[in-house]
Amino acid sequence: MRDDPSVIALVARVGDGDQEAWDELVERYAPLVWSICVRYGLSRQDIDDVGQSVWLLLVEQIGKLREPAALPGWLVTTTRRECLRVLRAGRRYDHEGLPPDDQLPPDPSATMIEQEVIVAERNAALRAAFAELPQPCRELLSMLMSDPSPAYAEISARLGMAVGSIGPTRARCLERLRRSPHLAAVIGDQTGEDDIEVKEPRGEQGD
Amino acid sequence: MSKVTKGWDDEEVLAALQQALRAQRAVPPEFIEAGKNAFAWHNIDAELAQLTYDSTLDSGLELSLRAEAASIRALTFTSAHLTIELEVAQESLLGQVIPAQPATIKIQPREDAETSLATDEIGCFSIQPIPAGQFRIHCHTAAGVDALTGWIAL
Repeated sequence: MRDDPSVIALVARVGDGDQEAWDELVERYAPLVWSICVRYGLSRQDIDDVGQSVWLLLVEQIGKLREPAALPGWLVTTTRRECLRVLRAGRRYDHEGLPPDDQLPPDPSATMIEQEVIVAERNAALRAAFAELPQPCRELLSMLMSDPSPAYAEISARLGMAVGSIGPTRARCLERLRRSPHLAAVIGDQTGEDDIEVKEPRGEQGD
Repeated sequence: MSKVTKGWDDEEVLAALQQALRAQRAVPPEFIEAGKNAFAWHNIDAELAQLTYDSTLDSGLELSLRAEAASIRALTFTSAHLTIELEVAQESLLGQVIPAQPATIKIQPREDAETSLATDEIGCFSIQPIPAGQFRIHCHTAAGVDALTGWIAL
């Protein structure tokens, strides 16, 4: 995966003690941490516990990350481990007679972790690109994405936009979104895929 | 790898954006807020002692021991080099540092000034009264190891 320059810059600023950069990092990756916890079926209290540990461990270790771009992968691995920890913490006495390991979800393969990281990075890039669109674009796209999506007549009335210009404006806004520098790293991920596979042959993945 | 970005048409971009925003909306604001607050730790030179056992989460224990033991709450915090065991007694909070060794224990309430006490020779200590509200425990051993628990509320 191509390094996302914005993540690298954020990690560097966090290393310098920049709280704002840290906040941005948390905003960017909280959905990733949250979604993993939800998939493990944790209670809200346990999710908060996992969240606390993951962020504290990150504060502790962010200076030691060899590659800032490896951060999302680190987060996936650490969050999974913390989920397993809280699940085990509630099961020290296991009266079912089953080893706790048997009751836990299986270890995901390296490919699954990679996929999770790709989706998280893509989502973060899309959100960052969306946040930088002009306000009218954000309004229009938000309406188009609402469920159920409103009729063009309603959009026209609410946004004061001629029905005939909704389609073209939508296309322009989406084009603008696609051209965002935030998405360049994600798109580069696809075009450079073959090169990366030559440079980093598989076989180091432990599973 | 799925072809997600190359040659995205309008429908695909919109669907992907929708998914990205939905994933964000699913996260409660307090969860994000707690994550931001974690940065207060960045200049604290102590190991994080994580909660590794909590008797209230152990439903099996409660069922088997019923009333006589269910009222005793036990917590275990583990860091790379230390374990801190806590047990909530009637009027005090009993603890032990493992491996057994003398240490200084600091109780840091979220809303109040910290207090400090020394363990005995084998790392046992007693906190009185039981802290109300959230607090954390900072353990500094005679050998120079520092460990700090996450926030505890009893």
